[in-house]
Amino acid sequence: MPRSVGFKYLFEKRPELKIAIFAGKGGLGKTTSSAALSYKLSTMGKRVLCFSTDPQASLSDIFEKDLFGKGEIEISKNLYVLEIDADKRIKEYVDSIRQKIKDMYKIEEIPREVEDYIESAVAEPAMYESAVYDAMLDVVSQNKYDFYVFDMPPFGHGIRMVAMADILSKWVDKITEARRQAYEYEKVASRLKREKYTEREDQLLKELESIRDRIVSFSRLITDPKGTAFTMVLIPEKMAIVDTEKALKMFEELGLRMSGVVVNQVYPPAILEDPRAPEYLKKRVEAQKPFLREIYEKFEDLILAIIPMLRREPRGLEMIEAVAKELWESTITLDDLEAISKR
Amino acid sequence: MKEKMYIEYLFMLMTIGDMMGIPLLPPYYTLRLLPYMVPNIKGWKLRMLRERDFTDIVTG
Ligand SMILES: Nc1ncnc2c1ncn2[C@@H]1O[C@H](COP(=O)(O)OP(=O)(O)OP(=O)(O)O)[C@@H](O)[C@H]1O
Ligand SMILES: [Mg+2]
Repeated sequence: MPRSVGFKYLFEKRPELKIAIFAGKGGLGKTTSSAALSYKLSTMGKRVLCFSTDPQASLSDIFEKDLFGKGEIEISKNLYVLEIDADKRIKEYVDSIRQKIKDMYKIEEIPREVEDYIESAVAEPAMYESAVYDAMLDVVSQNKYDFYVFDMPPFGHGIRMVAMADILSKWVDKITEARRQAYEYEKVASRLKREKYTEREDQLLKELESIRDRIVSFSRLITDPKGTAFTMVLIPEKMAIVDTEKALKMFEELGLRMSGVVVNQVYPPAILEDPRAPEYLKKRVEAQKPFLREIYEKFEDLILAIIPMLRREPRGLEMIEAVAKELWESTITLDDLEAISKR
Repeated sequence: MKEKMYIEYLFMLMTIGDMMGIPLLPPYYTLRLLPYMVPNIKGWKLRMLRERDFTDIVTG
């Protein structure tokens, strides 16, 4: 019996899965894998939402339809795609903050120093990322679909949010307690004078608690050992292997488990046995060998699927279907990888 | 009174911590706290400047 891999086996082992997350560095195949899994699950009768936040509108590219900033669009039966315009979301959100400041202090214009602060916050790279995570949370809490597939932004793992959730929770508890004590103390001292001040603090604390709840929910969403499959996509190249190792280490340090990795863009080793295969293809197989060996040695137990390098970039439902087939039940097996390792 | 100052300090750290190199909250959420911090922001900037001058004297 060959040792086969594929998402089929993951879903057999974990039938209660509700969310799949594809993460990893840019350009390795997150969008391709997201589209493929979404398509596959939708053909099996699940109502699926495929969510991307890429400002490059890559789901629009792969599904060959303009979806960017247009809301949830049905591509084929049961398959919905959402490509949010994060910049627009941020802009609307920041405007609402500005309005809140104006209302709170009954002013017509935002003070220069405050505006400076807003602008520097918006310019931070983490702004985009955190806005995207917030949108993810919104979509899942609406609970309209059977399954959610997230094509994550290339610049982070969302893992920092997990670490933060814990720190923040403890911190908010501490503040709440310190504040309660201070309040008791003050009630005796000068209650009336400070009433207005306390009201502002009350609201601030509420805000803080609601932020904590958001971050904790997000952290649960991406780490839920039952409902969520967190997957990294990699290709047989040095940098991708190094990055995957780093991510795995980060997971471990937080006491989390990654569901596994997708090995994408693999030249099938069978090419070497094929007398009709052109020489340049054989060379590519040879070039990938040492990296495939490394992947097999380092991640053997984690490999969820092996997707072959296709002749052209996957675009349109027909090619997505071809990728989906490989993602679900890969033609290349672990035995093939092992054979390469021994050569 | 001491607790009060402690809270104030923590709130400040929370909201503008990222400017001081202590990334505590994602910026998307930091902004939600901003409206409450508006009265403090002017004073904060001045304080930071003063502290920086002081460090310059000590280390320079
Ligand atoms: N198995 C494959 N065979 C051939 N081409 C592929 C394969 N997988 C992905 N590609 C191509 O490689 C490029 C990168 O893939 P994809 O867009 O899925 O990566 P990504 O991780 O989403 O990238 P980004 O971080 O830029 O969003 C695309 O042009 C895609 O069409
Ligand atoms: Mg992409």
